Amino acid sequence: MRLSLFLISLAAFGQSPRFEPPRQADGHPDLQGVWRNSAIVAAFDVEGQGAFYNEPGGKSVIVDPADGKLPYLPAALKQANDNHVHRERDPTGHCHTHGVPRLLVPPFPIEIVEDSHDVVLLSETEHSLRIIPLDGRPHLKNYRSWNGDSRGRWEGDTLVVDVNGFNGRTWLDQSGNIVDENEHVVERYTMTAPDTIIYEARVDDPTVYSLPWTLHIPLRRQPPGTELIEYDCVEGERSEIHYPGTPKK
Amino acid sequence: MAENHADASLERAHVIVDPPDGKIPYRPEARAIQKQNFANRATADPETRCFQPGVPRAVYVASPFQIFQNDHGVYIVYQDVHAYRIIYLDRSKHNEALGYAMGDSRGHWEGNALVADVTSFSDTTWLDAAGNYHSDKLHVTERYTRSSPDTLTYEATIEDPMVFTRPWKIRMPLRLQKGVQILEDECEEGENGRRHHIPLFKQTP
Repeated sequence: MRLSLFLISLAAFGQSPRFEPPRQADGHPDLQGVWRNSAIVAAFDVEGQGAFYNEPGGKSVIVDPADGKLPYLPAALKQANDNHVHRERDPTGHCHTHGVPRLLVPPFPIEIVEDSHDVVLLSETEHSLRIIPLDGRPHLKNYRSWNGDSRGRWEGDTLVVDVNGFNGRTWLDQSGNIVDENEHVVERYTMTAPDTIIYEARVDDPTVYSLPWTLHIPLRRQPPGTELIEYDCVEGERSEIHYPGTPKK
Repeated sequence: MAENHADASLERAHVIVDPPDGKIPYRPEARAIQKQNFANRATADPETRCFQPGVPRAVYVASPFQIFQNDHGVYIVYQDVHAYRIIYLDRSKHNEALGYAMGDSRGHWEGNALVADVTSFSDTTWLDAAGNYHSDKLHVTERYTRSSPDTLTYEATIEDPMVFTRPWKIRMPLRLQKGVQILEDECEEGENGRRHHIPLFKQTP
């Protein structure tokens, strides 16, 4: 009983609109530290899955549409299903960097470094990284990359990041869900408790999806002293993974 | 943000300030390996195979890097194969002998100089494109000093008893690159087994 009261009060604290985040000298929230996605199922399938050998189960992390399903166009759904049978194609299995929003999703730590000019995301896995300038400069033109071109701004206490310039080669998860080079993401990072950042990504990709959709995951602060360890994966190793093909959808 | 272009050969680039003759003090058997590396450099250079550049080479490869810092550490993001390093400032201990391409860095301030002690290397990186190399016993002590508004003076003392007869030292200026954005540098294996860096900009019609 005492424990459940404690949990309820913690939850109430976490959701309080009056939560006062730690702040930088310039007054913006200080998001710095080592964090990790705590909805690990999303690394395996953003639409959720049952638990089975070596993979945790969990609900979909897609909060819009309300049914938790990615609103695929028919040709893209066919491609995603084919990918699921051929999960050996997963680009991260070939040491490629994750793309967005997948960079935030794996069960590996991410360090956020922040000053008044930039926010930097350093991911342990694939030594992926993103530098997010905050100075209002325009996006690069004709840029085509794995992690896209990020431009950030503060809306109140939420860091809002606009990302485009993708090459269309990244997946959303290990299940074979996809985007293409028309992907456009608006991310929102909001600290809601001392050890929690709510991460939301609104993904718009009109050649893959019939509607924009929103992914929502909590990032949990890792214990003091957690250090990112060098990730040893040389890009392009073709033989890195071998998933057995199993039909899904 | 800074960059430099001393990568072709440390000896020819006149960045070796100790010993005074500017030559790397190789043990005889190690010099023979360096010569072999030089002969095979077109394919043997780990950089051509998408490996992270290592330390100190990351500082002087021909692409920029950006430095971020807070009370906890100094974070160096290299454009080259999206390598990064965290130089911890919290007086914590090294992760010993785990074999990192970029080493394990612990730093402190000596006056206005950032001093980084770097250990726990792998033997998979080179020191430059001329086949100069090291073993996993490499130990690097770096000093970064802001010597003018647009200049970082970089010094590194390089020790490796398996390869060199004595410690030796490089020094070079790093110039601030104003208005430069670090771009993504992703590398992959091509159809012929050779690796290549993926182009970033779409051709305009």
